[in-house]
Amino acid sequence: MHSIRPVIAGNGLAILLTVVFLLPTTAVFAFVASAPIDDLFADIGVWFHQNYQWKFDEFDTIERFTKIGFALRAIIISVGISFLYFWISNWLNHGLARIRSKGSIGKQSLVIESIQPWIFVGPALTLLILFLLIPAFATLSLSFQEADGTPTVRNYAFLWDPSALGYMQFRLAMRNSLMWLILVPTCCITLGLLIAVLADSVRWGIIAKTIIFVPLAISFVGAAIIWRNIFAGGGIEAQQTINGLTPSYQIGLLKSILGHPPSYNEPLYNLKFWGNFFLMWILVWVQTGFAMVIFSAALRGVPQDTIEAATIDGASPYQMFFRIKLPQIYSTVVVVWTTLIVLVLKMFDIPYALSANDDDKLLLATMMENARNNWSIGGDNVDNLFASIAIMLMLTVIPNMAFNAWRIRREQKEIGH
Amino acid sequence: MMISPSLRHVVLALIVFIWIVPFVALITTSLRSEVASKTAGFWTAFTPTELGHSFRTHEKGQINDTKVISGNIFERLNKDTSNFPVSGTVNSILFKGRIPDPNDPTKTVLIRKLVPAGEIMDVRGGDFVFETNGNFTWTFSELSTPKPKKLDAFIKQNPVFGDDAYIEVLFENKNVPNALISSFIVTIPATIIPITIAAFAAYAFAWMSFPGRDWLFVIVVSLMVVPTQLAFLPILQGFSGIASWATQLKQWLTDCELTNSCEVASKSFASLWITHTAFAMPLAIYLLRNYIVNLPKELLQSARIDGANHLQIFTKIIVPLSVPALASFSIFQFLWVWNDLIVALYIGPNNATDKVFPIRLQNQLGTFKDQLHLLNASAVISMIIPVIVFLSMQRYFIRGLLAGSVKGG
Repeated sequence: MHSIRPVIAGNGLAILLTVVFLLPTTAVFAFVASAPIDDLFADIGVWFHQNYQWKFDEFDTIERFTKIGFALRAIIISVGISFLYFWISNWLNHGLARIRSKGSIGKQSLVIESIQPWIFVGPALTLLILFLLIPAFATLSLSFQEADGTPTVRNYAFLWDPSALGYMQFRLAMRNSLMWLILVPTCCITLGLLIAVLADSVRWGIIAKTIIFVPLAISFVGAAIIWRNIFAGGGIEAQQTINGLTPSYQIGLLKSILGHPPSYNEPLYNLKFWGNFFLMWILVWVQTGFAMVIFSAALRGVPQDTIEAATIDGASPYQMFFRIKLPQIYSTVVVVWTTLIVLVLKMFDIPYALSANDDDKLLLATMMENARNNWSIGGDNVDNLFASIAIMLMLTVIPNMAFNAWRIRREQKEIGH
Repeated sequence: MMISPSLRHVVLALIVFIWIVPFVALITTSLRSEVASKTAGFWTAFTPTELGHSFRTHEKGQINDTKVISGNIFERLNKDTSNFPVSGTVNSILFKGRIPDPNDPTKTVLIRKLVPAGEIMDVRGGDFVFETNGNFTWTFSELSTPKPKKLDAFIKQNPVFGDDAYIEVLFENKNVPNALISSFIVTIPATIIPITIAAFAAYAFAWMSFPGRDWLFVIVVSLMVVPTQLAFLPILQGFSGIASWATQLKQWLTDCELTNSCEVASKSFASLWITHTAFAMPLAIYLLRNYIVNLPKELLQSARIDGANHLQIFTKIIVPLSVPALASFSIFQFLWVWNDLIVALYIGPNNATDKVFPIRLQNQLGTFKDQLHLLNASAVISMIIPVIVFLSMQRYFIRGLLAGSVKGG
């Protein structure tokens, strides 16, 4: 065993160094060497342009086809490099072990076996350390620094100092986060349960479920655009449309139903305080499908004999659901709840798309973005403020993490005993 | 449930209706004309709706010394355009002009008045009369050459749809095609690379033994809830460090100073690929490891006895058997990256041609504020690909969802 340690260390280092130097060099070389492909694509584009007489500018065609060429080679090279890593390191591992162990098969396989796992988990762990762990601690230390690096707690002054930048915004963001936290998961779960139960009892349930499910595939910005048609304000001023008096209507469905006149053209999501609820609804619309699918599967997994026993005992359908089925899927409800809570805490896209600069609609994530973009009047420590708000965001997630860990441990103990 | 079967249908139908209406709004708005989409709600697109249109009575120089000019309002409106032809019934025309003041006959007053069909109105000294079918006559008492008059007609317009908004955003506007290509450039490697790396790691966590394996796995999985916002600034600083280093290297190696092209951008597609790959690791490793660990152990053992090494076992046995898990994670990752706004905003390229679709849509919420047909068409284009992927591979997606949540993540 003693003689084998240096061999393992040496081989490991050799593989590491080879990979670290070879792969980036190969990537850069491949990019430079394959550059003429872009011109080739541009020529193909020009050929299409001339043969089919496309209407738009020839320059646009060249630009777009060059980009497609770039896309293709970028995709092939980046994916190829990641495959190359595993192939080369595996080959090196075997080759080096064979050379260094001087014919002893047992020693050779021992060397291979002890390096192989690290080749497999290496890239994943490196990425996680470089892109999540170290940055998280760097952000923590950034949040206790001035822009020039001197230690300070000034970036957290918005917590206690009413005159500090962000004092009001932070309170609004916390108020809104709390409302989002309570309402969005509750609505998603209630609606999800209701739909799961209803859809399983009607014949066209599968179609209903698919329709409820589709919004999950759509980006939050896309969902914001979709709901803008419903929540928007009145049509534009008549004179602007066409040189005359055009009858102007409410272009937002909901405002029209509420009977707002066209001249009142504030979108519903811009309302002070109440606007938040319309933004929340967009997220509910997207995420209900997620809750529904999971509850639907969980309800189908409820053991049939408990249901039969309850039926024999004469349970009403109402009792059946609340006394028999719901307690058995309780842990699933909790999991969905915690997943949604994390999602809501990190929510950024919807308020950013529809009400980016409105302090009344802030959440912690949008507050970070505002701090970085708009708060430079308060000094040059905007990046540090960004970091301190990010730490606040992390703190709001921690109770959830702790609860999750506690729950998983308890479940494992229950299984163990 | 206590509620009766018919009530079940009604409640479910109501919920489904609420879910569908926004999609109807989206597609309807994208198929309407600019004026229609910004003056009247999408629900008016299906029934005759009164909208304002302005038309010229005739072209300049078309009429010479005549007593009667006649024509058709719809012909005048549709003469230049084949898109969104206007048809329907003309309700009224807005009269703007001076009439004798009823209180003081020596003066005139300016009035604006809606004149219904059949009523004579005084336009440039002639009598202008129109019918609901659009025919109008403009009669003068003596031969004259009137200048063309622009009039505003209120027309109860028949429903009309067209694909002009799609043609415009796809072929006349550069941003949407560029965003589509950029989104593909970002999404494809950011799906394939993480799944490759995570599959190897998951195999190691499931079936190989090495010191610290179990607690490493716990750490990896617990990173799943860490908000990515926490990492943006340091990552950005790291990439700008690399970029300035690459700039110097380029300066040193090539003659880029002559063409002033030495600058290497710190926010690029490559930085976005790597960041997405890193952020995807915890969930990917968790899902794949849970799948791989449940594959029959005898397979591994018999392959080992036959002398296969780990790479061979992985590529020949594990990958073919894990296709369902790989598929379900790749759909997750594809949808996540395609729809991602925040990572692209902080880490991704920020020049106009390389913006990914969600950022482009977010910008268009501002630039297309008054061109709702374009905004909605662009949103539809951004959704087509994820929705097709999603619906065609729904089964795998649901399987991944269940594995990720029900077992407790």
